[in-house]
Amino acid sequence: MAILDIHQVSLSFGGLKALQNVNLKIEKGSTHALIGPNGAGKSTLLNVLTGMLKPDDGSVMFDGKPLLNVNSFDINQLGIAKVFQTPAIFPEMTVLQNVTIPVFAARDGSFNLNMFEGRSRQRPLIEFAEQQICELGLENHMHSLAGSLSRGDKRRLEMAICLANKPRLLLLDEPTAGMARHETEKTIELLKNMNDGITKVIVEHDMNVVFSLAEKISVLAQGQIIAEGSPDEIKGHPKVIEAYLGEAQV
Amino acid sequence: MITQQNFWQHNKAVLMFALVALTMPLWFPLIGGYSGLDTKIMIFCIFVVGFDILLGFTGYLSFGHAAFFGISAYTTGIMLKNFSDNIIPAIIVAVAAATLVALIIGLLTLKRTGIYFSILTLAFAEMFDSMAMSMLQKWTGGENGLTGMPTPMLFDLKMQGDTVFYFCALMAILLYYLAKRIERSPVGLMMKAIKCNQTRLEYTGINARKYKLLAFVLSAMYAAVAGSLMVVYEPFVGHEFLGWHQSGEIVIMSVIGGVGTLVGPMLGAGFMLYFENVLSVSLGEQWLLVLGVIFMVVVIFMPGGFMEAVARLKKRFFTTIDGE
Repeated sequence: MAILDIHQVSLSFGGLKALQNVNLKIEKGSTHALIGPNGAGKSTLLNVLTGMLKPDDGSVMFDGKPLLNVNSFDINQLGIAKVFQTPAIFPEMTVLQNVTIPVFAARDGSFNLNMFEGRSRQRPLIEFAEQQICELGLENHMHSLAGSLSRGDKRRLEMAICLANKPRLLLLDEPTAGMARHETEKTIELLKNMNDGITKVIVEHDMNVVFSLAEKISVLAQGQIIAEGSPDEIKGHPKVIEAYLGEAQV
Repeated sequence: MITQQNFWQHNKAVLMFALVALTMPLWFPLIGGYSGLDTKIMIFCIFVVGFDILLGFTGYLSFGHAAFFGISAYTTGIMLKNFSDNIIPAIIVAVAAATLVALIIGLLTLKRTGIYFSILTLAFAEMFDSMAMSMLQKWTGGENGLTGMPTPMLFDLKMQGDTVFYFCALMAILLYYLAKRIERSPVGLMMKAIKCNQTRLEYTGINARKYKLLAFVLSAMYAAVAGSLMVVYEPFVGHEFLGWHQSGEIVIMSVIGGVGTLVGPMLGAGFMLYFENVLSVSLGEQWLLVLGVIFMVVVIFMPGGFMEAVARLKKRFFTTIDGE
């Protein structure tokens, strides 16, 4: 069953057609990679899914509910979380506070007037946040300022933030960009082991990451999906090789 | 689980403030402060603590909070003059009026951020100032200000001298305590997250706009309580209550004391009022110049205000690991 159904989505910026009649179905529980040369529209497509951009045409259904004209925070409350290209965290807060935010967001919804409730009194919630931090291997940084972490740790913290309100769909925009080899390997392991039935959509340039994680790959070029299939099918696809010629070795 | 140690740790700052505030009539005259100035300091403590909920937590700099202070002061004056000399209904109506105005202004101004937000709030405050001077002159007294109020009463208690001081001090302690409670709540966490990374907050399922509006309205309510108490303290309202000078002074108090620390802005308020009213006499005509230099030194060398100095001293002399 498809958890996400993108139907005939088109979007242009002025004269530039960023997305043209994109059709894409993401199966529940699968890991789906979106690849393509620079400027193919991958990030634009993710921004449509998170409510940041409104397409000119088409529809997006998530688990049977329409996503267009829905606020970003409501989309997150429905169960879609996004990991940004540059780790988006709360730098002036501690690691624990960073992860406490989504935990309360999951309990209280997008707005709640509980102004006089002591956060520290909510032991089970704080413990859940601590557990998330430990699972991502940040237990030694629990009370450090998030801004002082290394890039790899910031990425892990961002994942902890995203996972703490139990999303059903996780969007990852180049999760290993700018990472050293061993950090990349660690991230692959992390994503592989994250098997709580979370559906993952990964935009990635690093083919090593794509082929070790994805069950299905869609190739975007100039705003259109030009190929779709299993990693093996994509590797030898003539259209893909053509689109990538001079870009990278597939 | 609440232990005694927890209670002490959470309320240490409030209890210390209460101690300093309630003993003020005893020690304040020793450093040259006169009776009445202590009351004014308490009133401005309320104003700046509320202002810190907006500026310190969410990072939104309003240059128009004098509007809520002034609207509340005028409403209190009109209530005392025409309705009843009891301050309780006057304060309630005044705060309600200012809250309503804040809700509307907040909805309009919070669409913008940064300098645009600041300019919008300033424009609204100036609009109320000119309204008080023109079309509402019949009610506000225009240039002459609003006068002729009876002696304010707290039921059967005459609000004069020390009674006013203790009433204001108790209000300040209560409102500081509530601000601390807000800081420790989930709401406080969301407000502080707005300052850190609003985009991430929205992508974490939080409606940042509603939390911003809440912070704006709460800070306006604190300003309104302060404005109302100003009239109880001194039965006069002038249009300078609404002016940009008043808004700016609150910003300076906050910055000099330490934005975002709640207690810092109160220190800043105490310092500024003490400086303006006591030290200015001994410094003579050049006192404003000295104040300007102090402000510059603080901003350049201690951007965290007095509280940064306190934190640095603490670090130097006590190397304990403190949870909060």
